[in-house]
Amino acid sequence: MKKRFLKPAEDPLWLRLFLGSVAIAFIAVLLLLPLALVFKEAFANGVSALWTAIKEPDTLASVRLSLIAAGIAVPLNTVFGIAAAWCIAKFDFPGKTFLVTLIDLPFSVSPVVAGLIYVLVFGAQGWFGRSLADHDIHILFAVPGIVLATIFVTFPFVARELIPLMVDQGRDEEEAAATLGATGFQTFLRVTLPNIKWGLLYGVLLCNARALGEFGAVSVVSGHIRGVTNTMPLHVQLLYDNYDYAGAFTVAALLAMLALLTLVFKSLLEWRYADELAAAHRH
Amino acid sequence: MSATGLKLFPLRSRHMLPGFRLSLGFTLFYLTSLVLIPLLALVIRPAELGFGGFWTAISTPRVLASLRLSFGMALAAAVIDSFFGVIIAWVLVRYRFPGKGLLDAVIDLPFALPTAVAGIALSTLYAPNGWIGSLLIEHGIRIAYTPYGVLVAMIFISLPFTVRTVQPVMAELGLEVEEAAATLGATRLQTIARVILPMLGPAVLTGMAMAFARAAGEYGSIIFIAGNIPAVSEIAPLLIITKLEQYDYAGAAAIGVVMLAASFVMLLALNGLQSWAAKRR
Amino acid sequence: MPLTVDSVAKKFGRFPALNGASFVAPQGSFVSLLGPSGSGKTTLLRILGGLEFADSGSVRFADLNWLDMPARTRNAGFVFQQYALFKHMTVADNIAFGLKVRPRNRRPSSADICKRVTELLDLVQLPGLEARYPSQLSGGQRQRVALARALAIEPRMLLLDEPFGALDAKVRKELRTDLRRIHDHAGVTTVFVTHDQEEAFAVADLVAVMKDGRIEQYGAPADVRRNPRTPFVSEFLSA
Repeated sequence: MKKRFLKPAEDPLWLRLFLGSVAIAFIAVLLLLPLALVFKEAFANGVSALWTAIKEPDTLASVRLSLIAAGIAVPLNTVFGIAAAWCIAKFDFPGKTFLVTLIDLPFSVSPVVAGLIYVLVFGAQGWFGRSLADHDIHILFAVPGIVLATIFVTFPFVARELIPLMVDQGRDEEEAAATLGATGFQTFLRVTLPNIKWGLLYGVLLCNARALGEFGAVSVVSGHIRGVTNTMPLHVQLLYDNYDYAGAFTVAALLAMLALLTLVFKSLLEWRYADELAAAHRH
Repeated sequence: MSATGLKLFPLRSRHMLPGFRLSLGFTLFYLTSLVLIPLLALVIRPAELGFGGFWTAISTPRVLASLRLSFGMALAAAVIDSFFGVIIAWVLVRYRFPGKGLLDAVIDLPFALPTAVAGIALSTLYAPNGWIGSLLIEHGIRIAYTPYGVLVAMIFISLPFTVRTVQPVMAELGLEVEEAAATLGATRLQTIARVILPMLGPAVLTGMAMAFARAAGEYGSIIFIAGNIPAVSEIAPLLIITKLEQYDYAGAAAIGVVMLAASFVMLLALNGLQSWAAKRR
Repeated sequence: MPLTVDSVAKKFGRFPALNGASFVAPQGSFVSLLGPSGSGKTTLLRILGGLEFADSGSVRFADLNWLDMPARTRNAGFVFQQYALFKHMTVADNIAFGLKVRPRNRRPSSADICKRVTELLDLVQLPGLEARYPSQLSGGQRQRVALARALAIEPRMLLLDEPFGALDAKVRKELRTDLRRIHDHAGVTTVFVTHDQEEAFAVADLVAVMKDGRIEQYGAPADVRRNPRTPFVSEFLSA
């Protein structure tokens, strides 16, 4: 009598096993194998070899450069993100959707194109090329160019996170603060910021990860001068092209660790603060 | 206005909350100097070639081959990722098993991992002496240093887009519509074909478009595994860089314009898709 | 052919949602399962619809062992609280769905399907709305479409899970009168879950007052009201 049939929205066991295996196998081969390989190659010659590779002057220089680029790009883009989200979420004005589309632009542009546009402006044959050379100012093939390219490719991250979040949260609290006599900055610091702090952190996290890992755009403007204008990703390429696989994978492992840390914090934030993050990220 | 001079209704601003001009001004300044002006340079530069010159620049066999490769493989990768993306999203949303949370987080790896790291890892993995490459070589399949290497790298880089666009829609779907279909007499297959897949349609398309856009412009994860042989396995972004190194700024800009135009079209198509889907909800 | 429910029980994990519910309803009657949330009424309804399976007990209807059949084959129309309309289909396609998925030998022609849809829309008093999408309808209209959809398959049993829960009072009254009218017209055995006793007493032939997974009292509305058999029943009815 007790014939157990399937509930309507339930898949039969064989299907569950099949789809589950396909999904897991696909993810394992496509995503996990490369990751495992990075660490395996980095540790191939033992931990002390790894340590020596890290302490190489050129490697340390690349780490420094990456940190400088990120250290400038992330705070600037955070300020931008806050400003953009503030005016878009708290006010109505014509051209708002166009503005949002514009902010999304670097997401849909190839990183190489991103680097290209700065070459066209600051390069030897670019708009300002001649006058920059005359004044011996180096933007391209030097740190400023790298910072600019990094800023371009990472500036949407904080804005994209804050805009839907602040739109969702509405204007009521800020309006209340205004009626109670608070200035703009006071309102922002005491009312808005506490409400957006987790979304802000999330956006900064993603912005930072991208800033440290950016390759294409920086590659175009960098000049690849060993020990001078190579960020970590570029240094990985340099080592790899010179057949220093152990060295390349060592730096790669550092970057991979950073990526894993980013994923961990990202998941943590999503799990604990799902409601305070932008609606777009809820899943 | 109160005696303490609170600027609740400042004469010049129409807005109730403070900070409008400051925030908008800064935003516009930032956008203009960082984005609009350099983009302008991109659009103007090919103009010095004239219309005919522009056309010649982008229709050389080498350029066309690179565009075909970049866009063609991106499309293939987007389709493959959409297929597997739906399966993965289904498994993540519908099934329960230990370690599911971990699997869910791993999907974002291509998002978080620097492209150069992915590039050398994939290249080493699929090279003839790599873990996977060596298995495939026995069957005569070469991946690294061929156009298929480009495809594999693109599949890697685009997967998060196809999964993450479909996943929330699937979760929102809930079980009730499937139960309703069953009570009305539909088999599981009919339910999937007539109810579930059509409801996922717009999300799948959106994910496909985003995957395509990302893969077409991708550089770092592809150049190590690709082979980069002109007119065979050379992607368009690489060709742009090559032209820059040869000081052919105008030629590089011409290709850049084509890629930018494709990005714009994608953005528009995506926005159109979103609003069409929103109407049907 | 009466509907005979015998000691149906179900646990969710360790929580006993149904603790042995039994009742008998004559063919064509209108039964209301009434009780507070957590009383097991929705669970019982879903078991009747094939959306859950029972741990023990039996149900006989139309000379069949009801619980041995999957939802697909029971031909029990189910109306959900949140309507569960197919948002990507028009009203007409929603209503026609049950007819279109029938195997070829039982499927009516498209012309017949069209006719049936129009008839049903008239029955639920929504004439002319064939081409609308659910997102363009009000809550009350959506629920009527859901009802029409369930009726399209000429069900031998009609099951409704707090169908008017999400609607305002005036719409609720209209809809329940229409529901009763449609039931009388179609003569189909109907089981209707609600927590609103006014509603239950207004439409049903038989009321089952439930608590903690058991039916505390079962009978005609007038009887139950006059002779509450347990303290819970009299308290619940006087609330």
